[in-house]
Amino acid sequence: MIELKKDTLVFSFPEVHPDAVLRVSFQRTFRIPDDGKNYPLPPGFGNFPLRHVDDFAERVPESWLERGGVMFPMYQSEALWLLFSDRGVHWRTESHYPFAVKVAAGKINAVTGKPWDDGLNRRPQDYLVTPRQPWLDGFCVKKGVIRQFVAMPLGAGYSAEEQLTGAAEYGGLQIVAYPMKREAYERFKRGVEHADSFTALRAVPTAAKFSLGLAPGGRMKQKIYDDQFEFEDWDLEHSSRCFVHTVNSLVWRQITGEAPPTVPLTAKQYDKAGLPWFDLYDDGVQALEGGEALKGLKSVKELGEEKGDVPLPENESVAAENVKMLRHGLKKDQVREGRF
Amino acid sequence: MSAFGDFVREVREALRQEDSRYSVRQVAGRIGVQPSYLSKVERGDVGPPSEATIVKLAEELGEDPDVMLALAGKVSSDLLEVIRKRPRLFAELIREMKDMPDRAVLRLVREVRDGDW
Repeated sequence: MIELKKDTLVFSFPEVHPDAVLRVSFQRTFRIPDDGKNYPLPPGFGNFPLRHVDDFAERVPESWLERGGVMFPMYQSEALWLLFSDRGVHWRTESHYPFAVKVAAGKINAVTGKPWDDGLNRRPQDYLVTPRQPWLDGFCVKKGVIRQFVAMPLGAGYSAEEQLTGAAEYGGLQIVAYPMKREAYERFKRGVEHADSFTALRAVPTAAKFSLGLAPGGRMKQKIYDDQFEFEDWDLEHSSRCFVHTVNSLVWRQITGEAPPTVPLTAKQYDKAGLPWFDLYDDGVQALEGGEALKGLKSVKELGEEKGDVPLPENESVAAENVKMLRHGLKKDQVREGRF
Repeated sequence: MSAFGDFVREVREALRQEDSRYSVRQVAGRIGVQPSYLSKVERGDVGPPSEATIVKLAEELGEDPDVMLALAGKVSSDLLEVIRKRPRLFAELIREMKDMPDRAVLRLVREVRDGDW
């Protein structure tokens, strides 16, 4: 089951285990420059506001109602990352229930670049595993590198969906989550050391015309971790999925009557202010290779140059030298570090 | 004596045992009322304050605002607005559920609807 609570999708499977709860939220952030450099992790400026499409049935395109789900506003040229957590933004040793999560943009799998299917595939792995994977910032184009999720109008040709399928049909994001089987979780829980605690807080102190698709933006250092569990540990009988529509912020007020969030800082403004970027110390962890189809994607900048467009101005490189290292495996009660 | 006033005094005094910043004077200062007024509210010499003040007080004392409003004989204005917009629907719902045990009420969740895609 999925509930929408405080701009967060809460996946729960009480029929599998009372601890089987996963929270997924969409974090606002700036576009990192698309200049060939691999940038560290940008911060989060808070959740994108999430709403049920059903609540605005008279004002959203019919196709959105057919697909159901939720929606949130993005400014064209804004970027986002997905945050996976359990209770708050922190994973707690006693109940960080493992989930296998598949994420797609425009029904193109963000890990493999393959078209959406509802099931889980191990070879190649087309899903992420939480809690080890705390977030996802974009399309996995190479081992240890993603291209950031950047919003572009659906139909302009930039989104991964349009580049790979030739069609601008879906846009948005699609998510399905599979909990671990109860018995596997009980085994896992017994084996987990109590000192193992992980916190990952990246926050900063404080229809076809409506739709946006997600396009590949700048490059960022990020690993998609290999599944450390057995494939049989995943409960394939239970899953919940959700279509997340991305709406142009300029029409959000027309649809919902609410003001969209304000335009975020640019990477240049953020970096000039000396604010921190983030890196996750994860040298020991195995990562997936980039999806074959994704390797061939052209970034918004590259495509724009081909078309003779400047789709995303303000693409100057930034130094990004103030980088805070975040570590997995802090001891319980140890002072927490955060992506903030 | 009033249920609301008694409750406020009880909670505030319990906090003050642990932390001297919960005197009448200091709490009143932080929520933006005169200490003498807060004192009268606690003694029941005046009726409960406005919704806005009760909400500030609830936050200050770490209590649920809806619970405190109910003690003051009020209902949060956002809830009233919800009912006013669809009075028949919500009146019927609330009357149907009035004797349901807590667990049954809490099981009424709103799920995110998955459609065809």
